[in-house]
Amino acid sequence: MSGIMIAVILLGLLALVFGAILGFAAVKFKVEGNPLADQVEALLPQTQCGQCGYPGCRPYAEAIVGGDKVNKCPPGGVATMEKIAELMGVEPEPLSATTEQQVKKVAYIREDECIGCTKCIQACPVDAIVGAGKLMHTVIAQDCTGCDLCVEPCPVDCIDMIPVTQDLRSWNWKLSAIPVTQLEEEKPC
Amino acid sequence: MLTLLEQLDKGTLWKIPGGIHPPEMKSLSNASSIARLPLFDEYLLPLPQVGEQASLAVSVGEQVLKGQSLTRGAGHSYLPVHAPTSGTVIAIEPRPSNHASALPVLTLVLKSDGKDDWCTLEGANSDGANTKSVSSEGVNAEKVDIASLSRELILSRIQQAGIAGMGGAAFPSHIKLSPASEIELVIVNGVECEPYITADDRLMREHADDIIAGLEIIHKLLAPKRLIIAIEDNKPAAAEAMGAALNRSHLPAGTARVTQIPTKYPSGGEKQLIQIITGKEVPSGAIPAQLGIVVHNVGTLFAIRDAVVFGKPLIERVVTVTGNTVSKPGNYWVPIGTRVTDVLTYCDFQSEPSQKIIMGGPMMGYALPESKVPILKGSNCILVPASDEIGEMPAEKPCIRCGECAVACPASLLPQQLFWHAKAEEYDKAESYNLKDCIECGCCSYVCPSDIPLVEYYRVAKAAIRHDAEEKRKAERAKVRFEARIARLEEEKNAREAKAREAAEKRKASMVGNEKDAIAAALARVQAKKAAKDDGAVSGVAADGAGAGASVGLSAAVSAGVNNTAATPADAATTAADPKAGVAAAIARAKAKKAAAQAEAGESSAQDQASTDMAAERSTEARADVNPEPSAAQDPKKAAIAAAVARAKAKKAAAQGLSSASDAQTSDAPAIDQAIETGAEDSASNNSDENNANAAATVTPEGKEDPKKAAIAAAVARAKAKKAAKAAQNDGVDAPAADTQDNADAAEKNVTDIAESAGTDGAESAGTDAKASETLTPADAKKAAVAAAVAKAKAKKAAQAQAQASNLQQAEDNEHSSSQRDAQLAQSDNAAEAADVSEIADIDVSNVSNVPDAADGAVAENAAPQADQAQDAEQDSKKARIATAVAKAKAKKAAREQE
Repeated sequence: MSGIMIAVILLGLLALVFGAILGFAAVKFKVEGNPLADQVEALLPQTQCGQCGYPGCRPYAEAIVGGDKVNKCPPGGVATMEKIAELMGVEPEPLSATTEQQVKKVAYIREDECIGCTKCIQACPVDAIVGAGKLMHTVIAQDCTGCDLCVEPCPVDCIDMIPVTQDLRSWNWKLSAIPVTQLEEEKPC
Repeated sequence: MLTLLEQLDKGTLWKIPGGIHPPEMKSLSNASSIARLPLFDEYLLPLPQVGEQASLAVSVGEQVLKGQSLTRGAGHSYLPVHAPTSGTVIAIEPRPSNHASALPVLTLVLKSDGKDDWCTLEGANSDGANTKSVSSEGVNAEKVDIASLSRELILSRIQQAGIAGMGGAAFPSHIKLSPASEIELVIVNGVECEPYITADDRLMREHADDIIAGLEIIHKLLAPKRLIIAIEDNKPAAAEAMGAALNRSHLPAGTARVTQIPTKYPSGGEKQLIQIITGKEVPSGAIPAQLGIVVHNVGTLFAIRDAVVFGKPLIERVVTVTGNTVSKPGNYWVPIGTRVTDVLTYCDFQSEPSQKIIMGGPMMGYALPESKVPILKGSNCILVPASDEIGEMPAEKPCIRCGECAVACPASLLPQQLFWHAKAEEYDKAESYNLKDCIECGCCSYVCPSDIPLVEYYRVAKAAIRHDAEEKRKAERAKVRFEARIARLEEEKNAREAKAREAAEKRKASMVGNEKDAIAAALARVQAKKAAKDDGAVSGVAADGAGAGASVGLSAAVSAGVNNTAATPADAATTAADPKAGVAAAIARAKAKKAAAQAEAGESSAQDQASTDMAAERSTEARADVNPEPSAAQDPKKAAIAAAVARAKAKKAAAQGLSSASDAQTSDAPAIDQAIETGAEDSASNNSDENNANAAATVTPEGKEDPKKAAIAAAVARAKAKKAAKAAQNDGVDAPAADTQDNADAAEKNVTDIAESAGTDGAESAGTDAKASETLTPADAKKAAVAAAVAKAKAKKAAQAQAQASNLQQAEDNEHSSSQRDAQLAQSDNAAEAADVSEIADIDVSNVSNVPDAADGAVAENAAPQADQAQDAEQDSKKARIATAVAKAKAKKAAREQE
């Protein structure tokens, strides 16, 4: 009888000790937020375009963790979708967007047509448009994510989305396996 | 164990891993001396060649001289671009670049004029022609004493000469020559390990002394312990020439030596050469300067010597033109910017089908897709091989994992693993195999039995990795900016809310304060009124009494009144004091009016007309108050209207003075005085308005001018009226009266402009837009109510003077009321007596506008008990407006009845 009592007490004490340790660990090593969402967000292109239907990349990352589809990011393209699918352990799906939508673009304001309404400035998710009321606006091409969000609000349709051209730095050996030759007429000198 | 320096002196050599021994093919071009090319028609100068920031110093159509700098820049790594010959800039446009992609880059097109005129060379001690002969023929002319030049001057000359590393990488030399750390060893790279190329070989043979002179400059700059000239042992002539030149040099004995290294590809790579000479390996991601070592190409030394001694910019270089499809292979001084096609044409290039034009050597060079591209500072060879020399690459076969490539790799990498991952596009894994340390020497491809173009794969992988890194960086940046924007929007929203809250609190506070002040002021007014009545109609104390009453009520009111009367612009008229001042002024006016009416006794018509005018004016003012425009815009208008009122009063007073009999003089003068005082008070209220506007600091640009003008005009009017009043008091009847009238007229003229420009606008817009007004501030509503009360009081007085109780004529009402509602209200008002009318108006006003002032004003007149009702009624500008309109309509009616 006493043996049983000892065992019960001993086990009870052990349970208390481990419970205390677990309780302490739960407080001390608490993980804020969802680390998986952070990982997904790191894979997203951060264009903040909202084409996925969420207001920004972070909400979409959280939605993916919450079980949303992984193929809703046109700017990220197939590569991003595949990476996210791999991370989430789901089957890759064909992108919801056309290939045309995946071409990287940069907004360009035709400056002499700009009336200075500041609507595009308000629409830009990354503050990449500079200008003031009744003054001409312009896009900081470096910071433009090509999200398209400024095109719609423009009352005079003076914003173009221009595909990013390659320069010597961004040139990819593989992409231009057949070198482009400029055909031009011989100029009379 | 020997130290490194001892081993360097001994000429100890270390082995590098890997390496190959391809056929050298150097005899094709190394037989003849370096030749000059004729001037070609066109030169292409990509802008900028080295360094990103530069601005153009020339424009299209400009004439440039040989050696003239075409760009300006200030950056640390900036190198200018110089004109290779004299001529005209005919275009600055994108042209195909000397790059494997031939992507167009901004290029300056220079059309040669055939004269090849040098510009004045800065710091040259010989004239241009002489310099030219020196550089081209290698004649050893007199030199600038290098020792006399400062370190900074030498470095700036090297930079301004646009000297970049001529071994191929084109890294700015002045940066290499001003390292942060101590340099112990300078290695001169004369290895030239790549097959076919003999440019450095010929340069060393023919210009050994000049190269050594360049080495002396470097020795002066860096003061290294040792200078090693490394030359492959397949160039004995060059080694001999360099050794001889070294012996003739002024370098300290024992510091410099020529070391022959065994022929092996790629011994000429910077890191490989360092390893061969010193046995040290440059760590991954580090630069040789961190080991205290700097490597310079012999061509760079030659250019440095030209730049420092003669001030001659880097505008030409030795280029090997070789291959079996040119009949005149050899080395040439090629101006930088010369088109490849021009050089090849000069060398009798016979193109074969599917001819490759290779820029650089056969191992590391790249095929040009376009031959109309310029020679750059780093272009050392144009190779145009026949198909039997370098044919098409055989088809790629599967990797057999033989490991030959790993043996051949001079960087000790695992090329087959890199290939594996690069092909599978697993770039992160390729990176983990140190892909970035690949020097793209091509040894692995050369030895591969499966003919796999391994280097191509690595280049693709490197480009992709670079691209990914760039994307990642951009994404990171976009995220930061997005988050910053969110934070900013949040901040703005909070700031807006805080502001709104603050404003609401302020409003509340001022409202509470106002009520108390208003009651006190009202009491004061009642007392003043009583006192005035006691004193009799003639006393000029009215205005004073009002002021005194106010002082009884609240000291703030007094100070406001005093300040306003004194027209001090710096008056801190608070929202609380402002309405009070207005009220006081209104009361003063009312009293003056009454006194005038009493003095007049019989001559009612003028007075009637005047009171009618006044009433109308008041109404206008009231309407202006209800004007839906922002308060700041309202104030100037109000001020103008008030000024107009003042004018009207002064005029009336003058008219009274004129028409009155001489026995009434004593009573007339004070009347005028009072009227003028009233005007002064009005002006005071104008001032307070203006101050208010100023304090609000929200005056529109148009609004800014008007209140100022109104204030000035009002001040002028006031001053004149005062003078006139004094004159009237002191002097006889007729003259002073006329004087007064004159003055008043003058005052009128002064005010007319403002009254018309601002007042009429305000009145009109108020009339038409009255209905839209929903956004009034409490102060405005209050003022409106006050004005309405004043109007009522006047109307009442007029009615009393008439002493007739007549029914209201609805038709007339309709005529004069601007809105339907006005008319309805007026119609519903059935009171026969004007007193009743004013009473009802009082109720209206006090009910709707919560302004005790207004009610009290009424109390002062007829002690209406309805004042109590004023307290808790909601502030509704619309109602205030209605009440005003009613008052106005009544005043009009009364006036008509008088007529």
